[in-house]
Amino acid sequence: MIACVLIPRFQLTVAAGDRSELLQEAVALAPEPGGTQQIGEVSLSAEAFGVQPGMRLGEALARCPRLSLIPPDPAGVADFWERLLVRLESIGAAVEPERPGLVCFDARGLLRLYGGIEGVLAAARRSLRVPARYGVAPSRFAAVAAATRARVRRPMIVQGGRKEAGAFLAPLPVALLRARPALADLPVALERLGIGTLGELAALAPAALADRFGTAGLHAHELAGGGDGALRPRPAREFLREALELPEAASGVQLERALGLLIDRLLARRERRGRTLRAVVLSAVLVEQGGTWREQVVFREALADPARMRLVLAPRLALMPAPAQQLRLAVERFGPHASDQRGLLDDPVAARMARLREAIRQARAAAGPDAALKVLEVDSDSRVPERRAVLTPFEG
Amino acid sequence: MTGPRRLATPRRVEVGAAEDGCPVTVDGRTVDAVRESWLIEDRWWTDRPLRRRYWEVVTTCGRDEIVFHDLEKGRWWRQR
Repeated sequence: MIACVLIPRFQLTVAAGDRSELLQEAVALAPEPGGTQQIGEVSLSAEAFGVQPGMRLGEALARCPRLSLIPPDPAGVADFWERLLVRLESIGAAVEPERPGLVCFDARGLLRLYGGIEGVLAAARRSLRVPARYGVAPSRFAAVAAATRARVRRPMIVQGGRKEAGAFLAPLPVALLRARPALADLPVALERLGIGTLGELAALAPAALADRFGTAGLHAHELAGGGDGALRPRPAREFLREALELPEAASGVQLERALGLLIDRLLARRERRGRTLRAVVLSAVLVEQGGTWREQVVFREALADPARMRLVLAPRLALMPAPAQQLRLAVERFGPHASDQRGLLDDPVAARMARLREAIRQARAAAGPDAALKVLEVDSDSRVPERRAVLTPFEG
Repeated sequence: MTGPRRLATPRRVEVGAAEDGCPVTVDGRTVDAVRESWLIEDRWWTDRPLRRRYWEVVTTCGRDEIVFHDLEKGRWWRQR
């Protein structure tokens, strides 16, 4: 039994922030800087004009000349979404997030704990504390479809097995297949062939669908018949992040120094426990309410060397569309513990550095993370003295 | 961990000044000579503009001090 939580227009709502009155008008998420000129999520008023998410900006403005654009806030969306997922995990749900605003979890393990599916949904509602739509069905696809049909205070529950899920899906439009990125193009082709509902799709012979659409056709047939793959819940995560407020809009060399400082602080965190970093997320709050910028970086090999991390991350700063007023660095995934492979002949310099690192580690263990610091020049040419240098954790 | 610890952050100081703004005493010590004075204006485009009149002075005990007058809030600070 799969439960689905759907928060409609999640990204648009987060980007609008405290200007929620904007959502009553025709608004859409502006295209990502540097990306294709396609709008993101749109408000109900904009939908009434025929504006759809993913539409070209020119076409959207042609359909709705009064359309207002809100700068996207990818870092804010990721942060808030992560908080909601953690809240769901706190009730014991093993979640599989599909995209921001849509998450599924297997409710079977929680039924006894909360006294039935209604209790599970009530617990989820209490933990999330945001209006959401809930759908429950035997398969993930059917649960998502149920959530799209549910109301905020009235969840849609489909009891039974695969047969009942297929019966529930039968009258629904094939456009629901767009929820799966691999099947996004299929509904248009199916509608052109006169197949408008999932029931009509399920009634076709799998061989005919495979012949016309290949594996995508077989997959769509499986979904329309009430089947789906198993959930793949995400592993429990640790949240480790460092942020730095920049005194004035920073770019260029100042930003690189701020990045160096963030790397040092992240590596000095006790929660890292000597592990290497496999993937990190570099994000920034842009000036003049320009929204946020977010870039995920996966290292070629897990590492804990600040110099190499700087080499990888510094070029990404050039992708930032505007100066930043806050820079953040978060750990996305940890790697194995760092280990030093010893050479055949001991290098005296390396041995001295190793002793120094050990001394720093012991000093930190005894006196806290501020036991060994170094002076880092952040903006050495600044006319304001207190902006020139900061103290940062010393990494041998 | 808390935020980064900045170096050379200003500290409050008692300064007696003449009518033209030139320091006469710093923490009760008489100013012997004024070596230099300069003005810094920054962030004037934000809600928190920064306007400071800096003075590098030598007191009668031979100590070199850099103090500034915050022209926005009217307070004196030492910066060294």
